[in-house]
Amino acid sequence: MQAESRIGALWQQRMDALREYDVVRDGNVFGAGLAGSCVFSSEYDRARALLGELVSRYDGVEFDTLFPGKEILNGGGSCVALESRHTLPATTIDTARLAQEMFCDLTLVHGVGDLSERRLKARGYRTIADLAEHPKFRSAARQVLERLTRADPNDVMDLVGSRHAKSHPFALGTAGSFEPEDYVFLDIETLGLFSRPIILFGVGTIEVGHLVVRQYLLRDICEEAAALTATVEQFSGRSPALVTFNGKAFDLPYVQDRLAYYGLGTISRIPHFDVLHFSRRRWKGQVPSCRLSALESEVLGVARTDDVPGQMVPEFYETYLKTKNCGPLVPIVDHNRQDVVSLALLFFYLLGETCGCR
Amino acid sequence: MAVADVVRLLETNPVYRSRVTCHQVSDPEPARYGTLDKPLPGALDAYLTHSGIRLYSHQCEAINALRSGKNVIITTPTASGKTLAFNIPVFAGLAAVPDARALYLYPTKALSNDQFATLKAMEKFTGIPAKPAIYDGDTPQSKRAAIRENARIVISNPHELHQVLSWHAKWSPFFSHLKFIVIDEAHRYRGVFGSQIALLIRRLLRVAHSYGSDPQFVLSTATLANPEEFAGRLVGRPFILVDTDGSPHGTRHFVLYNPFYDGIGERSAHQETKDLLLSCVKGDLQTLCFTGSRKMAELVTIWTREDARRSSSRLAESISAYRAGYLPEERRTIERQLKNGEIRGVVSTNALELGIDIGSLDAVIIDGYPGTMMSTRQQAGRAGRKGGESLAVLVAQANPLDQYFMHHPDAFFSRSHEHAIIDTENPYIVSGHLLCAAAELPIREEADAGFFGESFAPLLAELAASNLITKTPRGWVYAGRGRAADAVRLDGMAAESFRIMCHGRLLETMDRAQAYREAHKGAIMLHQGETYVVNEMDLETHTVRVTETDVDYYTQPLKEVDLRVIETLEIRDVNRVKCAFGDVEVTEQFTGYKIKKGDTILGVEPLSLPPLTFRTKAFWLILPDPVAAAVSAAGLDLAGGLHGAEHALIALMPLHVMCDRWDIGGLSTPAFGENGEPTIFVYDGYEGGIGLAEKAFGLLPALFLSAYELVRDCPCKKGCPSCIYSPKCGNDNVPLDKEATIKILCELSRVPEKCDSIGSMAGPEPAAP
Repeated sequence: MQAESRIGALWQQRMDALREYDVVRDGNVFGAGLAGSCVFSSEYDRARALLGELVSRYDGVEFDTLFPGKEILNGGGSCVALESRHTLPATTIDTARLAQEMFCDLTLVHGVGDLSERRLKARGYRTIADLAEHPKFRSAARQVLERLTRADPNDVMDLVGSRHAKSHPFALGTAGSFEPEDYVFLDIETLGLFSRPIILFGVGTIEVGHLVVRQYLLRDICEEAAALTATVEQFSGRSPALVTFNGKAFDLPYVQDRLAYYGLGTISRIPHFDVLHFSRRRWKGQVPSCRLSALESEVLGVARTDDVPGQMVPEFYETYLKTKNCGPLVPIVDHNRQDVVSLALLFFYLLGETCGCR
Repeated sequence: MAVADVVRLLETNPVYRSRVTCHQVSDPEPARYGTLDKPLPGALDAYLTHSGIRLYSHQCEAINALRSGKNVIITTPTASGKTLAFNIPVFAGLAAVPDARALYLYPTKALSNDQFATLKAMEKFTGIPAKPAIYDGDTPQSKRAAIRENARIVISNPHELHQVLSWHAKWSPFFSHLKFIVIDEAHRYRGVFGSQIALLIRRLLRVAHSYGSDPQFVLSTATLANPEEFAGRLVGRPFILVDTDGSPHGTRHFVLYNPFYDGIGERSAHQETKDLLLSCVKGDLQTLCFTGSRKMAELVTIWTREDARRSSSRLAESISAYRAGYLPEERRTIERQLKNGEIRGVVSTNALELGIDIGSLDAVIIDGYPGTMMSTRQQAGRAGRKGGESLAVLVAQANPLDQYFMHHPDAFFSRSHEHAIIDTENPYIVSGHLLCAAAELPIREEADAGFFGESFAPLLAELAASNLITKTPRGWVYAGRGRAADAVRLDGMAAESFRIMCHGRLLETMDRAQAYREAHKGAIMLHQGETYVVNEMDLETHTVRVTETDVDYYTQPLKEVDLRVIETLEIRDVNRVKCAFGDVEVTEQFTGYKIKKGDTILGVEPLSLPPLTFRTKAFWLILPDPVAAAVSAAGLDLAGGLHGAEHALIALMPLHVMCDRWDIGGLSTPAFGENGEPTIFVYDGYEGGIGLAEKAFGLLPALFLSAYELVRDCPCKKGCPSCIYSPKCGNDNVPLDKEATIKILCELSRVPEKCDSIGSMAGPEPAAP
């Protein structure tokens, strides 16, 4: 059937017309604010130039030469894992101090607002334990007391979230009860916004005081199931706690979605600390934007070179798929690794502020 | 009864009497009740008793079949209680299985809201926790998760479903227990749109299957000629048909009214509609009038009110328009006033045809044949209160289909409705849904053949070659950069789209063919009642720039069509005329456009647009040499005759196959191909074809005969818009020869006694070639 020869081209044209970001003129902050996802034109031009440069620079270079990684084999098939180690500043956590503050926060008890808290404190109810003897709040206070004493991080987060904003320092504070080895830092790179393959999974864990970043990179789309399986295996620790940047809205549902796509099950509910929310609470209004790239330069002093804007990752990866030239993968891998490292640094920064030793 | 008075007026008033071409009276029918095979749960029984409902025979039939696990299509008329016939078994199913879920698909928001209210009321009375909820584009983000988790009846629409399927993981409780799928107003899903929906349903079933559920279907439609075939194609499963109406009705008058009875028509048909409406309202009949456009609904309302004001201002106030553009509150007010009788006359576009519950009225006036017999019946079905006498009037316009009915009332009243077409094989439609399906779950060729047919494997290879999908050990995986469901539009064909911009603002998008036709440089185009002129068409960036204008002329493109037969798939002889069906390649070239004011041509401007080439399906017929010779010998124009016959065939296609004449294209030539044979082609106007020409090929004798009768019985002398003039002719209706057309169509339909002149010339038995 000759008609079919035109079908692929037709859909290709339609796909190309569906760009998921807009390029806006530099300084057009208004336009940037309106468009859900946008790239400034200078950034766009720089990235397009970079893409061309990479293709010529890495022409003929083998994948294995450029990305010396470890071949991984699991139930999903095979893929490549790239490993890197990074030092972390020492953070000492004092969980007792935060716990103390929580036990004194009467507003955690259902029915107690700021006003009643002030009144209650004036009448001598200084802690939730005191409130457990109050004629009206007795039973509610006992429940809270019991939950705080049990100190199950998921439950405490729910408790805090039901009485305060979900980004309240108390919520972040529950992270203090984990061992460093329990944290799993996750950041993914994808072919678009949902229902398309994840092409790179960056997973960070703490091993003897260092941050180890493992990146599962797809040499081809058919390796996605293996990379998913490898990523999920990282959550098999004793009591894993997930740390992401905007992962509640993006990374975690995306990964769950892809697991369901391949029929690979789901990640069961584990404590999840989304650093974006804590950062917004902490820095909103003080920094130009709360994007990870902005925070890392403002707060951590990290400067990236030859970076690819997140929205343009799909076209870089597509160029690789089409040409088999590995050059466009270089900035994707660097970008993702830096994202995981910055995520971990920001997390510990905030955690130190919330419940570090003073 | 007042109906009888108005009927008498139509029969006696000289103006009305001359225009009434047929008056059909059908006898009253008493109610027929049925029995249920299995008793209903107590709560549902109590609900029926409380509502004073005794189930009609067709409702029992549907309930019995559904409760025994069959898929059912219900085609009984408007207001016969179809909704109850499927709501009862769904509620019984939800009561029996605590996890069971149901999906209700509605084509419009208003219908979703109505059904939601009905289900809510049923839930409240019966105590069966159906937890109905509407899930569509307007559902707030904050409520969505709870609906996905808890709602046991989700009411949605196809466009939302198209977006939702790739999120199936979030819907897993729903898909895992999906027991019923209700598709109401299913006849809306026909033609290109229906074919898209059919594939959407395959995707839905595929996702449901992966969660281990196998839902049962119930379809509710207007009357069709091919209900089981239609349901089978839409869903891909066998269906039980429930079509015998058990509800009661009173005496029904159906009047065919022809303002052009004398072949002239002194006033516009709309003016006559106004007179009829006023007569009905004055005769104390609560009347509903349907018009073809919003604008006409407004105009007829204004005219009627003006005339009514002469007798009473109260009467004038009791007449109102009702159309789709109104705010929900305005619509609710009108609906309420209709129910309580404050409003006596309503003029509407077909928004009201869509089953909104306003109860029934005394009379219905239809201003122009609404395009399908199905819609006509639905609109007329609005007349007739429980057991009461009712009147329906069809006011004909000056177009071939309307006039055909006026001259052949038997054809009108005996017609078995249209065939609704669904084509699940069009590669352009299938490939889009394969992309979406691959984004939902990996496609496995063997397992998925059951959903997409056997022939989709080459399409997968084609999509893979363009890097849109990738073969993996787990199946074909979507790998395109854009979101598949965003690239596939349900309401059209996949095609390159042109953006129509006005001062940097996007007015609308059009596919290439439509843009060439309606938005070429210099074209005057209409958009939501506003007039625009096209300043520039940029073929590189697919952008058309327009500005507002206020002119009193319009433009009409001139088109040349060329056609090449790629493969003849089937040949048949109809009345000794060789007819064929097959694949063709059509090349349409827009060469220029005419600037016209009324019928006057103000000028002709050339256009330089690249030709449009597409492959589609066509049927064609080759006029036997003796017939062609006879036409010429009689001093008639063969080319004009073929051209006229082509127009007549296209005009009457919608009589047999449910489509719009704009969905079909044609070409006629006195010398086609190497042998120079006189040929007429009729083709689907969509890339890949959508089954219209194919269906018509099977119905050729009937199509030929109706076209012949149309032209023969038209009182005009040299052809007119009521017979062989086409509103979309690319050659500006030149050449046309009515007499030659009649001779050719007569030969095609072979009416023995009337074809003598040609029959004798052509010889009694033309030798087989």
